[in-house]
Amino acid sequence: MDRTKAILFFVLVFLLVVLAFIFFKNSGSERIKKPGEIPQPAVSTQAPIEKSTRKVTLFFLREEDSRLVPEERNIVSDPSTVREAEEVIAELIRGSQTGLVSSLPAETKLVQLFITKEGVAYVDFSKDLVDKHPSGSAAEISTVYSIVNSLAYNLKPIKKVFILIEGEERETLGGHISLDHPFLPDYSLIVKE
Amino acid sequence: MPKRTGRILCGSGLVLLALVLALSAAGVSGSKELKTIVIDPGHGGMDLGAKGKFGTLEKNITLAVSFKLKALIERNLPYRVVLTRDKDIDVSMENRSAIANNNDAVLFISIHTNGSFRKMAQGSETFFLSLNAPDEETRKLAYMENTSSELEKQIEDKNKDEVKMILWDMAQSAYIKQSSQLAEEIQKELNIFLGTENRGIKQAPFKVLKGVACPAILVEVAFISNPEEEQKLIKDDFQRKVAEAIYQGLKKYTKLFS
Repeated sequence: MDRTKAILFFVLVFLLVVLAFIFFKNSGSERIKKPGEIPQPAVSTQAPIEKSTRKVTLFFLREEDSRLVPEERNIVSDPSTVREAEEVIAELIRGSQTGLVSSLPAETKLVQLFITKEGVAYVDFSKDLVDKHPSGSAAEISTVYSIVNSLAYNLKPIKKVFILIEGEERETLGGHISLDHPFLPDYSLIVKE
Repeated sequence: MPKRTGRILCGSGLVLLALVLALSAAGVSGSKELKTIVIDPGHGGMDLGAKGKFGTLEKNITLAVSFKLKALIERNLPYRVVLTRDKDIDVSMENRSAIANNNDAVLFISIHTNGSFRKMAQGSETFFLSLNAPDEETRKLAYMENTSSELEKQIEDKNKDEVKMILWDMAQSAYIKQSSQLAEEIQKELNIFLGTENRGIKQAPFKVLKGVACPAILVEVAFISNPEEEQKLIKDDFQRKVAEAIYQGLKKYTKLFS
């Protein structure tokens, strides 16, 4: 009997070690945890699953009539407007899920984004937005207002949007629409349904 | 009695003759000082503009159409035409509007072919300037209309350039209404002559239109990014029709104001 108890004990210990190993492996290896901290990673692994999302409306281009068409998407909600604005831009670059055209070339990267207390969002893009842009008035109008409308429509603190390229003000994207001022949203470009 | 009537007739005839001479002299000197229309062929030089699938470059089409339009106007209307470029060179946006203002242009017409991301978009449209941020623009405009000259006297020299820049940047504001009428006349003719889809007249903050101190529009003729329309744009016959349409539109516009 003592012997079976001992075996059972060893089996239990072995199982515990295996479980602990699996646990540590899953809960992010970048931090070295002391045994006393074991309950903490349990909480932090739970957190991303509990992160709430919010619905946003993005505006993509329908090329047939150059209208902007709304497309809904869930982004991770964040108390910071800047964070949510960055997610909106990331989704615009990622492109439409319903076959619409993204007016931001896929290579475009968001360099940085900040919002002044007057509600002007400065959105700084990599030069790809210019270099990979097809030029043409229609293309430039859709790029500008896809960005401006998507930000202003979803994020109330943003009233106007100033588009920058690699940290600097640029005359135009391809020789047409002036970028020397902050843009108000223009919802008249959105498809009427 | 007949003698007297004769003298009166003769006298009034002389007066009439003098009047006619004076008028025609004025007419002649007037025609020496022809009014100027500035045509702006979009892009040029390093700036290729939009590109077609078959390799057509916007900058070449805009220049070809501009030459045809210049010839049409100078052949049929009492205007001198100045092009912002007559070869394949870079011209800055500021210089394009400066050429219009320095020549006291009465009309400014910028010629482009449209471009989009894929090949579906098609049709022709005509733009005039929109004033973004109406509140700010209205304030600037009011400031310009009421106090610019007076203010200019009071402003220190070091700040003068900045004030002039604001005024220059707002030059088109005073001509929005005429520009919209010019756009309307030209768009009507594009629809008739080209048979391209009518995308209508629209407003947008075009860099090249902002500083122009006369009625000014920008024509986007068809889409070079649409292979079917690209094939049309390279044809001499189609380019001739584009020039004819713009010519008819501006002719009708000038009649409204003469």
